[in-house]
Amino acid sequence: MRVRGLAFFPNFLLREVVIMFTTAASIFLLASLFPASLLEPANPFETPKPIFPEWYFLYVYGFLKFWTWDIGPLKAKTLGIIISMVLFPLLLFLVPFIDRNPEVNLKRRPIAVLLGVITVAAVLFFTIYGIIFE
Amino acid sequence: MRRQLYEWIDKRTKLSKYWDSIAKHPVPPHVSDGVRTNPVYCLGGIAFLCFIILVVTGMFLAMYYKPTPDEAYDSIRYIMEEVPMGAFIRSVHHWAANMMVAAVMLHMIRVYFTGAYKPPRELNWVIGVLLFLLTTAFGFTGYLLPWDQLAYWATTIGIQINSGIPIVGSYIGKLLMGGNEIGPNTLSRFYAIHTIVLPITLTLLLGIHFILVRIHGISGRYL
Repeated sequence: MRVRGLAFFPNFLLREVVIMFTTAASIFLLASLFPASLLEPANPFETPKPIFPEWYFLYVYGFLKFWTWDIGPLKAKTLGIIISMVLFPLLLFLVPFIDRNPEVNLKRRPIAVLLGVITVAAVLFFTIYGIIFE
Repeated sequence: MRRQLYEWIDKRTKLSKYWDSIAKHPVPPHVSDGVRTNPVYCLGGIAFLCFIILVVTGMFLAMYYKPTPDEAYDSIRYIMEEVPMGAFIRSVHHWAANMMVAAVMLHMIRVYFTGAYKPPRELNWVIGVLLFLLTTAFGFTGYLLPWDQLAYWATTIGIQINSGIPIVGSYIGKLLMGGNEIGPNTLSRFYAIHTIVLPITLTLLLGIHFILVRIHGISGRYL
């Protein structure tokens, strides 16, 4: 059988290995230049300021600060949590079942691309909002 | 000698029968044309490499770490100051963790924009979202372990937010804390979740994720 394209082993794997070594090297370099920190021991009676969650939770944190509107009997805080912690992950799970367009070409799926760009932009926006809004 | 060793192993494993289907599949030209390789197709692999680095460095850290409020902080300080290479191993664990979350997010963005979640790959997208959530759960549970001010208060906020989920929130909060406040129970269960529950779950799902990728092959051209 004649195969089109590059054989996974060894041709493609060799390229992967180069990228893997580069990744490992950057981790080792970052670890040497910027060691992991250790602050004062935990003290339940003294809240430090400012206090941030890990960067990948900042979009949730930022969104909760951003959303200040009650809707009907639902309080703003509850709504913020429902949207960012329940609806957003649920929406992620459902992506392949919502987008039924079989086309994979970027130019022939403008709505999906637009929604994707908006989502990425929103996550970035709320991440920054979480940092600068105190 | 080499030939004999090969035959000995092959007789017992029948590896040569499966080798071609494991390793000889072609990589499509839009991923690599032999000269240039499209780096966005390496993000999942980078996340996997980070996971391997995290498992190895985590094993070393677990040998010194003590998951109780009285000893946790001092055991981390011992790792940072006394254990040979301890500060480096912990820092690699820290950076590999951040790199893994970033790689998983970028991998997800790549899969979305290349339409690689479309039939027959829907199930693998769902598993991928689970893997992403598990990765962030790793981050959340690992953050408490040093038992310093940042660890304690960031976890306090995190648990407050989780407790705010309607109906199930208060149960999630109690389940995470192992009681009504952050204390010894919280620390030992975060440690158990971080070093036993999540690694086993993630490894199983990762296995299915990879097998499905092999079954489906790489998705088509996106441009």
